[in-house]
Amino acid sequence: MTHMHIPDGILPVWLWFSGLFLMGLALSLSLVSLRSMDAKKKIPLLGAVSAVMLVAMSLEVLPIAYHINLSVVAGILLGPALGFLSAFITNLILALMGHGGITVVGLNTLLLGSETVLGHFLFSLMGQRLPVFWRGAVVTALTLLSTTLLLIGIVSVSHIDVEAVLHGHEQGLHAQVSSDPAIKTFAIVMLSLGSIGWLIEAAITGAVVKFVSQVKPELLKHRLHDLPGPPVP
Amino acid sequence: MIDVARIDHWAASGSGPLHRASALSKVIFLVLIVTASVMTRNPYPLAAGYGVLLLLVASARLPWFRVVALSLYSAVFALLYGLSLRGGGQAYALLILKAITPALAMLTLIVSTPYPKLFGLLSTVLPELLSAGLFMTYRTLFILLDMMDNFAVSIRLRGGFSPGSIYKNGSNISKGIAMLLVRAVERASRLYAVMAVRGYHGSMARADADGFRRDDWLPLGTGIIVLTLVLVWR
Repeated sequence: MTHMHIPDGILPVWLWFSGLFLMGLALSLSLVSLRSMDAKKKIPLLGAVSAVMLVAMSLEVLPIAYHINLSVVAGILLGPALGFLSAFITNLILALMGHGGITVVGLNTLLLGSETVLGHFLFSLMGQRLPVFWRGAVVTALTLLSTTLLLIGIVSVSHIDVEAVLHGHEQGLHAQVSSDPAIKTFAIVMLSLGSIGWLIEAAITGAVVKFVSQVKPELLKHRLHDLPGPPVP
Repeated sequence: MIDVARIDHWAASGSGPLHRASALSKVIFLVLIVTASVMTRNPYPLAAGYGVLLLLVASARLPWFRVVALSLYSAVFALLYGLSLRGGGQAYALLILKAITPALAMLTLIVSTPYPKLFGLLSTVLPELLSAGLFMTYRTLFILLDMMDNFAVSIRLRGGFSPGSIYKNGSNISKGIAMLLVRAVERASRLYAVMAVRGYHGSMARADADGFRRDDWLPLGTGIIVLTLVLVWR
């Protein structure tokens, strides 16, 4: 849900440029924090989780046009820094396939990346208080609620400028734009239909995290930042 | 959503003038088209630009019908966004053209450029970890797509889909996704180990390090024409 399918040239330049700048900043911080990681572990895991996210995004829930993201799963498995890189890679490949604009990659990465970071921290904060399925599900619902509000904020800011763009043309495009009602409608649609999507994503994330904890629990141990150990004689 | 395998086949097997052009010139072409799309507030020059791109795709022996159909996919989301603005017909036309014109340019780039060349070019501007991650994601995606086909067949054969049973279907699909994830991690680790044994250490070899080529006039010329159309036709 928190992925904008807005094409190039629609959002105001300052907005998408700010998105690219902030994305660059966040990527730099992530890369600096990942310097000590073991490449043999992190690159295959990064590739696999990003690829699974791309595949998951192709599974659309038709009645509400929702596709799952698995961004919280990525955050839980990869950690915040690598999860943010995964969000960037996923969005860049989607843009290369014509799925969303190339100028929107910054904002989309910030949205998806914030899901991975928030998902990771909330999952860690919950400790062992709940069974793993419910931890994954509750964290996903909370994360998606937060990032959907962020998305509504971004779209509300963009609407103001689009109105100016449309009316600013010398011949006039005569768009009867009324930003506040349009944003309210957009927010209502996002929060109502979105909540169905959050429940679906929460259930799937909970099930995926539970399955991973049973089948390959080492993926949940967050030991990716460890340096490679000394060779065993 | 994404027909990655088909796009990869078109990019690797074509021999038209756009395939012979360098990846760098096609990236510049894409930047010119995106710039034109960002700058314009008038749908007519962008419509003309889309026509020019159509001519380019058709004359370069690319699968133009499929490529155009894929570019129209982005129009759906632009229209939804336009409806939220409650604009007039001309506003909708502008939004749709702003969506499909860069999408067509992007598709022209990826259906005429094999991925090692594209990722090789990206690796010159991206940090090593990101370019390696991009490459691993792309390779693992193909492995996953094959696994997805097998998964869908096997789950049907074993009665995993029951019409009307949302809980059972949801549970099976979730387990399937989780299984895909675990197997993808295993396959990606094995793939990386094999690549490391063959000398891979995170950077891509650039096949087109020689810069511009004779056939670059086509993408560069087309990009300049579309941008000029937007700048002149205000």
